[in-house]
Amino acid sequence: MKSRKSRGLPSKMPDNTAFKQQQLPAWRPHLTPRTVLSGFFTTGAFFLGMGILLILSAKSIKEIEITYTDICSNCSKLRENASNFYKECNCSIHFIIPEKMPGNVYMYYKLHNFYQNYHQYIMSRNNRQLLGEDITNVENCAPFQRTSNGIPIVPCGAIANSMFNDTILLSYYPNSSTRINVPLLSSDITWWTDKHVKFQNPKSSNLSSAFAGTAKPPYWRKPIYQLDQENPENNGFLNSDFIVWMRAAALPTFKKLYRRIHRIQQFADGLPAGNYSFDIAYNFPVTVFKGEKGIVLSTVTWSGGKNFFLGIAYTVTGAMTWLAAFSMMAVHLKLKKKQESLQH
Amino acid sequence: MFCGEKKLLETERRVKANDREFNEKFQYATNRIHTSKYNILTFLPINLFEQFQRVANAYFLFLLILQLIPEISSLSWFTTIVPLVLVLTITAVKDATDDYFRHKSDNQVNNRLSEVLINGRLQSEKWMNVKAGDIIKLENNQFVAADLLLLSSSEPHGLCYIETAELDGETNLKVRHALPVTSELGADISSLAKFDGIVACEPPNNKLDKFTGDLSWKDNKYPLNNEKIILRGCVLRNTSWCFGMVIFAGPDTKLMQNSGKTTFKRTSIDRLMNTLVLWIFGFLVCMGVILAIGNSIWKHQVGDYFRAFLFQDEVGKNPIFSGFLTFWSYIIILNTVVPISLYVSVEVIRLGHSHFINWDRKMYYAKKETLAEARTTTLNEELGQIEYIFSDKTGTLTQNIMTFNKCSINGRTYGEVYDDLGRKTEINEKTKPVDFSFNPQADSKFQFYDHSLIESIKLGDPKVYEFFRLLALCHTVMPEENNEGKLIYQVQSPDEGALVTAARNFGFIFKSRTPETITVEEMGKIVTYQLLAFLDFNNIRKRMSVIVRNPEGQIKLYCKGADTILFEKLHSSNEELMTVTSDHLSEFGGEGLRTLAIAYRNLNEEYFKEWFKLLEEANRVFDKRDERVAAAYEEIERDMMLLGATAIEDKLQDGVIETITNLSLANIKIWVLTGDKQETAMNIGYSCNMLTDDMNEVFILSGHTAAEVWEELKKAKEILFGRSTGFTNGYAFCEKLQELKLGSTIEETGYALEANLQNEFLEIACICKTVICCRVTPLQKAQVVELVKKHRKAVTLAIGDGANDISMIKSAHIGVGISGQEGMQAVLASDYSFAQFRYLQRLLLVHGRWSYFRMCKFLCYFFYKNFAFTLVHFWFGFFCGFSAQTVYDQWFITLFNIVYTSLPVLAMGIFDQDVNEQNSMDYPNLYGPGQLNLLFNKRKFFICIAHGVYTSFALFFIPYGAFYNVAGEDGKHIADYQSFAVTIATSLVIVVSVQIALDTSYWTVINHVFIWGSIAVYFSILFTMHSDGIFDIFPNQFPFVGNARHSLSQKNIWLVILLTTVVSVMPVITFRFLKVVLYPTLSDQVRQLQKAQDKARPLRGHKRQPRRTSSRRSGYAFAHQEGYGELITSGKNMRVKNLHPTSGLGKTMYNSTSWIENLCKKTTDTVNSFSLDRTVKL
Repeated sequence: MKSRKSRGLPSKMPDNTAFKQQQLPAWRPHLTPRTVLSGFFTTGAFFLGMGILLILSAKSIKEIEITYTDICSNCSKLRENASNFYKECNCSIHFIIPEKMPGNVYMYYKLHNFYQNYHQYIMSRNNRQLLGEDITNVENCAPFQRTSNGIPIVPCGAIANSMFNDTILLSYYPNSSTRINVPLLSSDITWWTDKHVKFQNPKSSNLSSAFAGTAKPPYWRKPIYQLDQENPENNGFLNSDFIVWMRAAALPTFKKLYRRIHRIQQFADGLPAGNYSFDIAYNFPVTVFKGEKGIVLSTVTWSGGKNFFLGIAYTVTGAMTWLAAFSMMAVHLKLKKKQESLQH
Repeated sequence: MFCGEKKLLETERRVKANDREFNEKFQYATNRIHTSKYNILTFLPINLFEQFQRVANAYFLFLLILQLIPEISSLSWFTTIVPLVLVLTITAVKDATDDYFRHKSDNQVNNRLSEVLINGRLQSEKWMNVKAGDIIKLENNQFVAADLLLLSSSEPHGLCYIETAELDGETNLKVRHALPVTSELGADISSLAKFDGIVACEPPNNKLDKFTGDLSWKDNKYPLNNEKIILRGCVLRNTSWCFGMVIFAGPDTKLMQNSGKTTFKRTSIDRLMNTLVLWIFGFLVCMGVILAIGNSIWKHQVGDYFRAFLFQDEVGKNPIFSGFLTFWSYIIILNTVVPISLYVSVEVIRLGHSHFINWDRKMYYAKKETLAEARTTTLNEELGQIEYIFSDKTGTLTQNIMTFNKCSINGRTYGEVYDDLGRKTEINEKTKPVDFSFNPQADSKFQFYDHSLIESIKLGDPKVYEFFRLLALCHTVMPEENNEGKLIYQVQSPDEGALVTAARNFGFIFKSRTPETITVEEMGKIVTYQLLAFLDFNNIRKRMSVIVRNPEGQIKLYCKGADTILFEKLHSSNEELMTVTSDHLSEFGGEGLRTLAIAYRNLNEEYFKEWFKLLEEANRVFDKRDERVAAAYEEIERDMMLLGATAIEDKLQDGVIETITNLSLANIKIWVLTGDKQETAMNIGYSCNMLTDDMNEVFILSGHTAAEVWEELKKAKEILFGRSTGFTNGYAFCEKLQELKLGSTIEETGYALEANLQNEFLEIACICKTVICCRVTPLQKAQVVELVKKHRKAVTLAIGDGANDISMIKSAHIGVGISGQEGMQAVLASDYSFAQFRYLQRLLLVHGRWSYFRMCKFLCYFFYKNFAFTLVHFWFGFFCGFSAQTVYDQWFITLFNIVYTSLPVLAMGIFDQDVNEQNSMDYPNLYGPGQLNLLFNKRKFFICIAHGVYTSFALFFIPYGAFYNVAGEDGKHIADYQSFAVTIATSLVIVVSVQIALDTSYWTVINHVFIWGSIAVYFSILFTMHSDGIFDIFPNQFPFVGNARHSLSQKNIWLVILLTTVVSVMPVITFRFLKVVLYPTLSDQVRQLQKAQDKARPLRGHKRQPRRTSSRRSGYAFAHQEGYGELITSGKNMRVKNLHPTSGLGKTMYNSTSWIENLCKKTTDTVNSFSLDRTVKL
């Protein structure tokens, strides 16, 4: 047979490239005792160190948590009946901060057994409406899209409808007769992107006219444009409490940032130790779904709020890594000895 | 697709020549063929219909429909439709290109031209316009357009020769002859145009060797049989023209009827995968049920109170109904445990492996420019699991080239090569061959290395002269001159071809023959011998003789045949020579050479005449004619003088011995299945070291009835198991058995294949080290394969080159065809093809092993990955009221399998190597895990699943613990759903990337790019999808705005990701390390060695020299077909113009019209043998 080359055809012989011949230069990692053991010891050391550090910093956090479902039991009872919707109920709780809470102090409200992550619930919102572009767009908001007479609900959806609407005031008693309202800030309690990108009021000089022709969610006392009538920056969709609520929680027990302690006057260094009280306008019913609610005052550190889980988990993992490393080393050395004795 | 209108079932075909109107009544198919499946219009519907017949695709369609139901839709429709459309598109594009090529080849075939007789004139017509009943003219070397009835031809007696290679792979020419009445038509166009015979025959069928029908013409009926039919796909040879009438056209032709659908082969991994996928479905349903029950309970205890406050959905009022809906919702969410990308990825990996096979330079045969080719791209990993190889002999193990290698003349051997010191050496490239330039007519391809033989010739040794004279006279070869005037031999037996060519080169040139004479040029002198009688060969006689009268008037009988037979016929004075020659014969036989003994006898005139009368009488009677003739032959073939012996090498292909040795070391059993005779098969068994002399038991099953075979099997069993009595425990017995080297040759396996003997046969055969089955028909080959497949549950591979191997190639798990030969049938039916048997070693030990290794690793990782990915939803279910809320962003779910994690695992599946190719070949034991199916089985699957479940557990509960009641470092909340989703998703991507990094043992640039790239792509897509810009455009589709930048700037979240990664990966590393240290596999050890090797390559330990020893067995083997003697003496196959009966003896001896029937009859007798009855042009 004549070769293809002589006939001017390229040879059919496959190209001699490293790729086609499966000869690509390659790194062949091995689990050698040296790499594995040194890796394990280093990782273990790092994890142990990190774990202890995390535990220590979590310990340094001062935190006070007060669950007020039972303390304000009469209010809880009142709210179980929907007919008392417009009745006011206030509740006052006295408590002591035993140690000074230094630095920034944050006030959270905490809900137990509230399934913000329930599928139908979490889907029930419309981001386009919340952008203020098309406030009558109530798509996806079932079952809170429109009122019975067909007026679009703003803000629509189950999340908005169920917004936490207790108001909490914190008072400080430097002595038994003096009562100082602790200054609380509602600014900068949301993510920057939420406040500036995700939520926008309709472009209009007058908020109430912008929301004309819409209805408030059925469980709300006042319409969206009256959430904070004093501060137009905090009104409508831009209301911080609203934005915080709208960021649905991952788990059925959660806390959400309610206020920051304004660090002025005697609170410049945080909350001094002493007597305090919460004055709560109790609006949000929780006993109907067997839930609980509470207030948390907390400082933070570099690693966030008070949570021992990470610290403990790091310590345990570090310890386990070392344990594994030691047992592997034992096995390795034993076998090595055996091999050496066999060779001799 | 096929002919549009449905015809009534045809029971009989009636075709009238030259009458299209008449034939149109029956609506016979025209000669246009369609092998394509689609056209432009039908492509989309048919292709989609076909694709949705696949369970996986249908399943995903079902999921898609589920997702469109708003009540249960827990995921957006795009999570399923994006991958589904991707998969469907890829498959559709592949199908479309395949079909495009089929269209192209159809068009090419349909537009071939042939000459058709229309309206009394010959016209060029496209093949597709030819119709049943047309008369077409064929010329030499043309392809036959349709199934034809031969009417007339250029050759005498209406003969024509056809090559049927494309039909059955046989390259020898076959004879067809027309009815005498039609052959008279000749090439006369006008009378052909008037021909109006009607053929009535069987309806279209796929039997290539059968045809029944009759021709009615001019009030006469002539029966028709297969001998008068030329089938589509044949090529006309040695016939300048012929005319034929079309009987079957296009799809009705036997060729097309035979190209039935090939059975779809699947690998054992495929089957395992299907089982596992079913299990996973079961698992999925279980999880769905658990979560649905959870939902009902939750609804009952918590949700009901919730409802009024949070959501007024009326649907969810009834907890049971809510549970029911939840079940479906969870089925949708958890469907990713069986991701659609699994099937696509598996196909992509196999395709990659197939390309590596195609690209392999080490499997490229430069001489024939033939590439190895993976024709089926879906079986690669099965190549790593082969336990049994069934090999054809001719053309597969052997080159089908017979060479005259050695001979023994008058007690002296020739053909050995000695070096300067007088030691026997192997022939290599340096050995100088004998120079035949003194002989202008020598065949340049013939090589001989022993110079002493040519010296003997030059010295004029009479015995040597007589030896070669015999070779030049006693045969059935036909001489021919080619275009350049060079003498070529047309042979039907390659053995004879070798012998006659040898004689030609040594100066005894067979020049020409007539029915009565043979002309030989003896050392430059033309000598014409008168051929007095031809004593034909048959398998019982095992010899053939000619009786000739030389110019001096002496009558001589020249005989060649099996030594065992011939030695009994010798004159008593030959005793001494016989002993010497028989030693030589043993030596030849031990080397696996095919031997023939050679003898002559001087006859006197009277004795011959007397004997000839006897023969004529024997021929005249009808009763027991064959026996009487045989007795007459017996009478004259005695008291012969031994001349010597010839030894022909049935040339093995290169590297066969090494390949077989290495494959046996890899614990692969090799069975040779051949249609050839027992002697030939045994010779090959010895020459390729499958049979050796230290095999202490060679069982030959050659019983002719079931009972006999039964007895033989029982005896064999007794011999085998009888040995065990000496051993007290079974363990010793087993060990002993392995030491026993057993060989077995089985003839007439047909009996052994009968149902009641199957088990016995298999039991014995599987203990035997080597099994050789001879005289098996193609069907029996397939039966043997099926038997092993069925009873041993082993993975089988069949390798062959000819049409007779097709059935076996198709029925084995993997069929390999030897390409580069003339017949393409085996290759077309095969799954893999390459040019040389020796490439099988590389295909299995390197490509197969790697493919299996890679596929198993891939599957383990893939199942692990998807369980880790999906089960997080399950854990989350317990904390979200079993509401089928997903943990991840929907886009993440859509992209996870097809973008974020697909490429690294594909790169591993395509490029990974545990051990390099050299070591794969050097340590055949590495092949073992594949045979035992150790790398991926149900146990491994459960380990992968457990690993996945563990990872998903860590992935969910570590963030859960960390997020519980926590605040961010700026006091703002980070425990929101979106941050949680991003944290888990990021951890997941990192954990599975680290895992694939651990699994990858061969990091090429591509692996680096893919692994690092995937992580980079994940983060860039994450930030893009969480960016302000995209949110402004699609606020409802991308609600995660700002999440990435907020969450991933928290130290806390990175600590969680790091912890998750270490907790998921650390135990894996520990287990792997301990496993390598405590229970290293061979692969681990070789890897260790390889590291050392990289510094200094040690010598290869086990290069075995093929060892050959002499043995006391006959090396006789001779490929020959009975009937050719008759053909020669009748002169029918000789193109002599004036063939009037003369006083020649041949004419009076035989009934001259019956020769072709005789030949045909004998051909059908031996058709099962599929032996070397090929006409080879030398």
